[in-house]
Amino acid sequence: MRFLFALFSTLALAAPAFALDGQQLLQQIDRNLNPESYESYRKLINIEPDGSRKEFTLYTVKKGTDKVASLFLAPASDKGRTTLRLGDNLWLLIPNVGKPVRITSLQSVVGGVFNNADILQLDYDTEYRVEKVEDKGTDYLLHLKAKNRSVAYDRVRIWADKSKKMPHRIECLTEAGMLIKTLYFKDIKDFSGITRPATVETDSPLYKGYRSVMLYAKVKKRSFKDEVFTLNGMSAIDSLR
Amino acid sequence: MLRLLLILLLVAVAPATAEEFTFDDAEIEKKIWYLGGYGELRPGLNLVDRNAALSRLRYYNRDVDQALPDFNGKLLLEGSIEKDWAKLFVQPSLDYTNTRLENDLKLTWYEAWLQAKPNDSFKALAGKRSLRWGKGYAWNPVAFFDRPKNPDDPELSLEGYWLATADYIQSFDGPLQTLAITPVLLPQRHDLNDDFGSSDQLNWGGKLYLLLYDTDIDLLLMGRGSRSASYGLDFSRNLTTNFELHGELAWVVDAPQQVLLPSGQVILKRSNATSWLMGLRYLTEQDTTYILEYYRNGNGHSRDEMRTFYDQVDQGFDHWQQTGNPTQLQRLGQLQSYSRIAPMTDYLYARVSQKEPADILYLTPALTAIANLRDGSLSLAPELLYTGITNLELRLKGTVTVGANQTEFAEKQNDARFELRLRYYF
Repeated sequence: MRFLFALFSTLALAAPAFALDGQQLLQQIDRNLNPESYESYRKLINIEPDGSRKEFTLYTVKKGTDKVASLFLAPASDKGRTTLRLGDNLWLLIPNVGKPVRITSLQSVVGGVFNNADILQLDYDTEYRVEKVEDKGTDYLLHLKAKNRSVAYDRVRIWADKSKKMPHRIECLTEAGMLIKTLYFKDIKDFSGITRPATVETDSPLYKGYRSVMLYAKVKKRSFKDEVFTLNGMSAIDSLR
Repeated sequence: MLRLLLILLLVAVAPATAEEFTFDDAEIEKKIWYLGGYGELRPGLNLVDRNAALSRLRYYNRDVDQALPDFNGKLLLEGSIEKDWAKLFVQPSLDYTNTRLENDLKLTWYEAWLQAKPNDSFKALAGKRSLRWGKGYAWNPVAFFDRPKNPDDPELSLEGYWLATADYIQSFDGPLQTLAITPVLLPQRHDLNDDFGSSDQLNWGGKLYLLLYDTDIDLLLMGRGSRSASYGLDFSRNLTTNFELHGELAWVVDAPQQVLLPSGQVILKRSNATSWLMGLRYLTEQDTTYILEYYRNGNGHSRDEMRTFYDQVDQGFDHWQQTGNPTQLQRLGQLQSYSRIAPMTDYLYARVSQKEPADILYLTPALTAIANLRDGSLSLAPELLYTGITNLELRLKGTVTVGANQTEFAEKQNDARFELRLRYYF
């Protein structure tokens, strides 16, 4: 009887502990992908089925779990466009229009397979809770569910290397489990002490034949004041470079 | 031989593959100066309604064909120098217009300002600047210190006013995430901001911005000076990931309005005017964007006042034809409140745009309707925008006006206009 009680107690305690481990694992994966506060440069390349490309260069700053801003440096037609994300709030500043307008996470300011949520990605731990972690040999497979309906993808599956706790594939799905896009993390590089994939490729069954690639450069830990991540601060992101 | 060919092929392909994705430091190097902008060619064809009131006011003494082509060019330059906490920015625009009736080249300084930003919480700016207050897409009744934008092309750059302003920003944890205070001083003299209102006033005002419970809120104020005292409120909020709601409310104390009486006499009425706007932006799963705005212009003319104006223009035109005396038409042409953008009280703006229909990349067709709900007239503007070539933007746009006689859009100069815009960014 004592044995059964001990067994039930252990199991009852173990279940939440495992869920907690999943969330902690997700936090570790987040930190291995990016420091909590950092700056980086990215090049986004949209590749069409005929091989033609459109490229965008962005400077990105992030602070904490819910603040991120990106400034377009190229091409000339997009230079000066600035996007800001504060939690679920997203804005776009177009220099000609002169004032920030609210945008949605499902839109894409660059076209192609990446949408605004991909470009202004917050920590996964901020937006998702871990439902299940599967042991897949050399990988963990994390099943994530969005914490609320304002998140771009209702479900996410992360395939992460067990030893490095670094994702190499992330699948984004609808609530019904339909695959929207897959992100492939490649080319692990050391950016002044931050070791992370330098290339993220994505494809989507919704955009057959199209590919988008994100290249990283100069990823660097850096702290920012909260005021950088405000509507009034959007026009001054370039001064941080 | 085959092996050699294969090796040659591999050698030829290898560098291409290696260079498939490159990201050089030179691409992200920051310079202290920047020079960019765009050049634009805009040929158009106007189908002129020679009997329309605004056509008669403008062309009464000119021989105008019904089909009036025009050619427009624009060179908009942007230049800046930034060092430490100081930034100098200039944006001159050179505009060229050529029709059979006129040939005009004009240089306008849209913006020219110097900014000091000693830290991330504070910046101060002096010079010519367009503030762009308000959340509305087509109209902004709370843009007290701005020139009115054109709802037919709301995303165009606007010429600013000479002013001094500052931003103090503070962020918080909790429901109030951001607070920003923006005071404004705008001097007005006969040679400075001369179109802002009556002379020799130092106009003042300001804006308090709050990001509160995930809602953008602005409280806006312009003290009494060259223009009437004005108070405003605006907001914007994302209700879901694909649905945004916004609104503006402006209260102008003792707003002046010129009213033309049937006798031909012009009187100046003063009354408190409340203008407001409600709008939404909705994105479907198929990438169709809907923008819808209702605008109530509290200082607009009534239907009867507009009819009186159109009657007077007809009478003035008949008088000119009979006597050659244009005085009445010239006097009516100076009543800008009747020919301005949104001269009446109730308007609806609707725009539907579809991104990349039928998998045609970088093509966005759109249809815009602006309706005057008081007189039932409207303008319809279908357009095609193509951005598939880097830095080149092609837009083909038509605008057709619909309405009975003596309605706003029917009495505009053109029955229709077709325009091709080629814009190259550099």
